[in-house]
Amino acid sequence: MTNSLSHRSGAQARAPWLTLQRRDAIEGWLFVSPTLLGFLIFFLGPLIAIFIYAMSDWNFLSGEATFVGLANFEDALLANPDFWLVLRNSAVFALGLVPLNVALALFLAVALSRPFRGVIVFRTIFFAPVITSAIAWAIVWKFLLQGEGGPINQMLAMIGITGPNWLREPNWAMAAVIVTRVIKMVGLNMILYIAALQAIPRDYDEAAGLEGASRWQIFRLITWPLLGPTTLVIVILTTIGSFKVFDHIYQMTGGGPENGTLVLAFYIYQQGFQFFDIGYASALAIIMFVIVTILTLIQVSLRRKDDA
Amino acid sequence: MKGILKLAASAIVLMATQASAEDLRVAVYTSSEPHLKLLNQLADKFKASHPDVNVRFETIPVADYTQKLSFQVAGGKAPDVAWMMEDAAPAFIEANILMDLTPVLQAFPDYDLADFTDPAMALWRKGDQVYGVPFSTSPFLIYYNKAMFDKAGLEDPKQLAEKGEWTMAKFQDVSKKLVAANPGKYAFEFKDGEGYASRMTHALLPPIRAYGGDLWEDGKCGMDSPAAVKAVQQIHDMVFKDKTIVPPGTQGDYFSGNSAMTVNQISRASKMAEAGFEWGVAPLPTGPNGEEGPVIGQAGFVVFDASPNKELAAELVAQMTDKEGVAALAQFFPPARRSVLSSDAFLNKNQYLSPQMMGFVADGIEKGRVVAAHEKVPQILAAMKPRVDALWRPDADVAKSLQGVCAAIQPLL
Repeated sequence: MTNSLSHRSGAQARAPWLTLQRRDAIEGWLFVSPTLLGFLIFFLGPLIAIFIYAMSDWNFLSGEATFVGLANFEDALLANPDFWLVLRNSAVFALGLVPLNVALALFLAVALSRPFRGVIVFRTIFFAPVITSAIAWAIVWKFLLQGEGGPINQMLAMIGITGPNWLREPNWAMAAVIVTRVIKMVGLNMILYIAALQAIPRDYDEAAGLEGASRWQIFRLITWPLLGPTTLVIVILTTIGSFKVFDHIYQMTGGGPENGTLVLAFYIYQQGFQFFDIGYASALAIIMFVIVTILTLIQVSLRRKDDA
Repeated sequence: MKGILKLAASAIVLMATQASAEDLRVAVYTSSEPHLKLLNQLADKFKASHPDVNVRFETIPVADYTQKLSFQVAGGKAPDVAWMMEDAAPAFIEANILMDLTPVLQAFPDYDLADFTDPAMALWRKGDQVYGVPFSTSPFLIYYNKAMFDKAGLEDPKQLAEKGEWTMAKFQDVSKKLVAANPGKYAFEFKDGEGYASRMTHALLPPIRAYGGDLWEDGKCGMDSPAAVKAVQQIHDMVFKDKTIVPPGTQGDYFSGNSAMTVNQISRASKMAEAGFEWGVAPLPTGPNGEEGPVIGQAGFVVFDASPNKELAAELVAQMTDKEGVAALAQFFPPARRSVLSSDAFLNKNQYLSPQMMGFVADGIEKGRVVAAHEKVPQILAAMKPRVDALWRPDADVAKSLQGVCAAIQPLL
């Protein structure tokens, strides 16, 4: 003990600048530096770069770039009719996907939140698609949804229904990508809901039950309000996810048929990585960012109003 | 201590030699084992005269080949040499990022640049400069499943071609009989099963050319011409009325025996070895007036101007495409050199295809025209796609749909 004390005071005498406080600070910075560097290089850097790209006309192959100001934004919002079609498609996709996903997730979570024999098996089954490769998922569904001789249409034929050519008719294609996407991703929201449900004390239910409340009343008046914060998070995350959907569309429909599933993220990919119009694609990415931010703010403020 | 010093010294020597050895990266879109083996053999020959050069072939999957290559270019990590597909060539040449190979090719011993046919070089020349050397000038051919023809008691396309009866009308007629005799199967699948998606132009071009039209020519869309409308109407009928062509949204792979015929190039012959059925190749069916409209897909070697070893890279290209190199590549990639096209080795010694089949190939190269190319191919295809989707509806008005296609792409041409 004395030894270490004298050792420390000696070190201080030799290097007075290294106070305990400074040492802590240096150690702290060292500990966070890997993440911080990663954040600066891989997140903040590209984020700034994208604003610069968005204001330039950049020929990707020859490497020539010229400053064009806001021309790319004007082009998207005013000149290009495709942009509004794409935005409409993205909105349809989100409006179809978010309610379906949230409702199904809640239903599954309520069914699977209480322990019963085999509950783990069921949870695993519904969660497995989340960790399945998106490409493999899409390829399998593409096979199942074939127009002629596809397994799903064969099953429909057995009960006397002639199934549509799912991925080749614009409206059906949109419905098909929404439903297959919901099945793929619903497990994630289900887990979030299960965690939230398990955090609700059972006493509330029991007390309400003793007062004569029906199960529906308990759910509507107790469980659902208590799930509010979780629902908000789930709706925000799912909305953002639905605007960012790319791999699923890329593999299943390629934006077709007749541009019926051409959604924003895929359109950005097309402009940037197929036509090499990086400036225009960056401008679109910023527009997408603004849309998602606005939607998130609306949802948060609605929630605040509810609370108040 | 001495031991450590020795080790350090040898490490330094090793690093120095590594640094002095030149690495040439060659981007290719094949992952086929026989193809890569052949390429490495050619590279070994180059290494014999350049012992301190390493040649490395890097496979980029064909589906997004041009795109990934473009990203390497934009990221300053372009390979030294690359394969380039015909539809990408104009954009890369216009961007001025490819090396003019003319001086190196002309200086290369016994190269004989004039040996390449003019139509085959058209895409790669700009003025007097040569920006690429085609190593594959590959005509589209009909591949057929002999067993399915036999089952229907039909003459196969090769026999029909020999008699001069392999016409578009016969193609339709034979297809109906094939489907009747092989229930649950299709008579024809578009190239690689992608005829309604990434290969929509490859599906439309052969019939349109057979009828005397083209997708576009000299900046004018040709898909609404009477010839094109007739051709596409026939194909449309085959898909939706006769139900003989694999329809959109359905899979009917030729290579696994689900379709009796498809269109492809001879590089796919290596895949047929494992197909497990008797097969053959024949020319594309001719048009109503007997016109032949062969279609050629092309790919060439290019060198990137930004390569630090571009002179060396150009020499590698010269070596791989000299007479010997082209003759070796001709096993899979039909040559554009006259001397090799007419050679006994090319015509008679193919591992997968009989001399007669190779005769069709040589004939196709001579008469064929390269698939329509354009600097803005990605934009054109994207503009076409929704209109072509509309064309492939059962109730579509073919003429009107094709007018729609032309209206969409004309501004880009």
